[in-house]
Amino acid sequence: MWPIVGVAACLAAAPNPAEAQAAYEHLRIVAPAAPGGGWDQTARVMQQALQQTGLVRTASVENVPGAAGTIGLARFIGAERGRGDTILVSGLIMLGGIVTHRSPVTLRDVTPIARLTGEYEVIVVPAASPFRSLDDFIRVLRARPESISWGGGSAGGSDQILAGLIAEAAGVSPARINYIAFSGGGESLSAIVGGQVSVGVNGLAELAAQIDAGTVRVLGISSAERLPGLNAPTFREQGLDVVFENWRSVVAPPGISAADRDQLTRVLDAMVQSPAWREALTRYRWLDRYVSGDGFARFSEAEEARVQGILRKLGTQGDPAGILASAGRYPLFVLVGLAVFAAGTLAANIRLAKNSVGPSKAGPYVQPVFRAEWKPIAFVAAGVTLHVALAERAGFVLASAALFWLTARAFDERHPLRDALFALAVSVGAYLLFARVLDLSLPAGILARWL
Amino acid sequence: MATFDALANGFANALSLANLGWALAGVTLGTAVGVLPGIGPALTVAVLLPVTFTLDPISAFIMFGGIYYGAMYGGSTTSILLNTPGETASVATAIDGYAMAQQGRGAAALTTAAIGSFVAGTLATLALTLFAPPLAAVALRFGPAEYFALTVVAFTTVAVLLGASVVRGLFSLFLGLALGLVGIDQLTGEARFSFGIPQLLDGIDVVILVIGLFAVGETLYQVWRHEEVQPVTLHDFTGMSRDEWRRSWKPWLRGTAIGFPLGVLPCGGSVVPTFLSYMTEKRLSDDPDRFGHGAIEGVAGPEAANNAAAAGVLVPLLTLGLPSSATAAVLLTAFQQYGLQPGPLLFSSRPDLVWTLIASLYIGNLMLLVLNLPLAGVWARVLLVPRPLLFGGILVLASLGAYSLNRSMLDLVLLYAVGAIGCGMRVYDIPLVPAVLGLVLGPMSEQQFRRAVAISEGDLTVFMTRPISAVLLMLAAAILVGPHLLRRWARPAWAGQ
Repeated sequence: MWPIVGVAACLAAAPNPAEAQAAYEHLRIVAPAAPGGGWDQTARVMQQALQQTGLVRTASVENVPGAAGTIGLARFIGAERGRGDTILVSGLIMLGGIVTHRSPVTLRDVTPIARLTGEYEVIVVPAASPFRSLDDFIRVLRARPESISWGGGSAGGSDQILAGLIAEAAGVSPARINYIAFSGGGESLSAIVGGQVSVGVNGLAELAAQIDAGTVRVLGISSAERLPGLNAPTFREQGLDVVFENWRSVVAPPGISAADRDQLTRVLDAMVQSPAWREALTRYRWLDRYVSGDGFARFSEAEEARVQGILRKLGTQGDPAGILASAGRYPLFVLVGLAVFAAGTLAANIRLAKNSVGPSKAGPYVQPVFRAEWKPIAFVAAGVTLHVALAERAGFVLASAALFWLTARAFDERHPLRDALFALAVSVGAYLLFARVLDLSLPAGILARWL
Repeated sequence: MATFDALANGFANALSLANLGWALAGVTLGTAVGVLPGIGPALTVAVLLPVTFTLDPISAFIMFGGIYYGAMYGGSTTSILLNTPGETASVATAIDGYAMAQQGRGAAALTTAAIGSFVAGTLATLALTLFAPPLAAVALRFGPAEYFALTVVAFTTVAVLLGASVVRGLFSLFLGLALGLVGIDQLTGEARFSFGIPQLLDGIDVVILVIGLFAVGETLYQVWRHEEVQPVTLHDFTGMSRDEWRRSWKPWLRGTAIGFPLGVLPCGGSVVPTFLSYMTEKRLSDDPDRFGHGAIEGVAGPEAANNAAAAGVLVPLLTLGLPSSATAAVLLTAFQQYGLQPGPLLFSSRPDLVWTLIASLYIGNLMLLVLNLPLAGVWARVLLVPRPLLFGGILVLASLGAYSLNRSMLDLVLLYAVGAIGCGMRVYDIPLVPAVLGLVLGPMSEQQFRRAVAISEGDLTVFMTRPISAVLLMLAAAILVGPHLLRRWARPAWAGQ
């Protein structure tokens, strides 16, 4: 298997990757999610494949997690404009996040490069469930949509989108489905396997081990044809016209030159032929869905329309469970509680100040009375302000050194030189530790050339 | 018996000189990185993962074992010595650990943490060896209703953390709850209280709150007081006295008993076990007033619970393939790197690797003890660093940790704002820990409640008709009301004497 793939890679790739000159000295890959998820995995596999093939001398992965990737997207558009050596991992879930979280920026604001992979989704029930087939399930769904709880990943993500598509195909209004969003893979998986919800919607890769072991039964898979080696009927063969993939892609910042765009495309063309990438596809059960250039741009726009359509229909869920499950009550309770106890604390402190009898009254462990001094506070405040103002402009080393030095002076003004030396040493040391050893990039700023 | 044969095989694989070297390297790296504020176990393992790619699977797993336990342990050091817990798991440790360090007993606190971690880690790994599959089956019976009931139990621990004044403690709790409102509502995907700032969509990271309240708040408070503080004198660098041993061993065992089962639960987290352990120790103590002022039980229990929970996390991961914490999710990636899919079939498909991993957990644990016992005295000397340099360093590391979480300047601004609040809370004698509990438990409690009600289509009785949930809720009621009732019953008896 291995040598065959290797030979195929050498024949297929236009410039032989093994002998190719590195196209990039350094390529930054931004994963808009925390370590461990699908986008992070994609980024780290790319990092390895690009380095192993020599297409890129060094590649780094930066995680900018949050809000279905839209935080990473917004930052990518803002901070990386015009940079040809930085790419962002993106995909279907980001399209959903853009709609759900009303993101001001969309995938139309970046430069599309290529679609990389796809993953099928499945609908499963625990082995003990009364639903033996998709028909059993659809019958109950049509009769009483709210009685079916669908467990899956975050609201507006691929799982909820598929749930909406299935309901629509079955002639049930998507607004009436009782979708229970769980965070992260582990939480939704354990709810599904443990039978806490009627049915589970999730990626095939996440559920593969459970399906193999027979702890869950597949009611349907979102592929067009049955998959070899998997005993799972498709939705289509059971009369629901739903074909769906959770795809992942790569985009570049807005405003890059045509030459940069072509070079990125060439590098990815070669990367997807490399043995390291092919091997990762089988390992993670990813489908090879490589399309670059205009083909990907057209696909992305079509998907955007489809996702927006279904999410609008899912709409603001009409809270099938009534007011207690809605988002409004709890914040009110918390804010009222906060106001009450803040007032109580204030009153208690005023009373204490009036009777000011000192520590003995309120208990033995109250801090001794002391006189606050404002000069040291001013030193620290200056340090903090400088740090926030300088960190991304002048770089972390200078900003940290200023913070350290001013903080030290707040405690003791007698050793400015010693403090300055330590400030520089600690800042440089911490920077090197984070940026070089731990590979967590920090803004280098104006010292970038020397670090 | 088959279990022991398999485990013996695992040990045979793990116990070579080279592999012991990898275990030591893993433990050292894990501890060193875990010490940094904001760099929790998940990030530590993620960052160190590439180091293991070049190794063969067995050596790599041994190194994971070391990194995993090492990172869990590293967090407690700064928590005890500098009152700067880097993540939620070591907040409970900071309460009494820092008080001990202030009294010059930092080395003893570190020692009880190290031995407690070892005892808990070893016992929990043993439980993992023997009972993993049945425990995982029980864990799956926890649904949203049960998790909600569990958070109610956890909220009762606030009662022992209130400090001198109830109203101040509740203010702190509600401050945490209010901060927990910020961000996307998971069930609907709608943003709440994010004021149109995209970085707030994911809420306020609890690590920011912890580092801000403790590390930055402490620094600002020290600056504000600006008095000549007597340098800490270290009574001894050797560790625990006979009395401290006597008082530590029961908390270690109780912490393990609390931490392991809660770690097995897929949404347990590290806050619930550590604080439940802290509350248990305070409630069982003859002299609860010592808590908060350097009670060694308050360090021994939560540290044991924390490490036992870390081993518990491996139960659903290895038996069901469920990553129940961020760290477990990263470990899952590591498994996949070697073509392994953790899940119900892993024990039968690749027993060699699973048992080697389990064996390496025992070894990593032992290594951790060997490494950290002699170091306790060395670490404790950190307190002898001149205060200007110490606090300068703390602020720099805190800001680095906060920034590297999400690469967001807003996090830095939040960090300092929270630090200023933390300083104010110290000045007005408002306890800090309830705020952390509020931020962690509030969203969890709300989301699980709403999930449970949504699944039951609005029927509130689910909390009482599901047995586990009902038992937990009654337990919470007993914890809150029980001591008062006992006192009332006991009083006539005293009066009669």
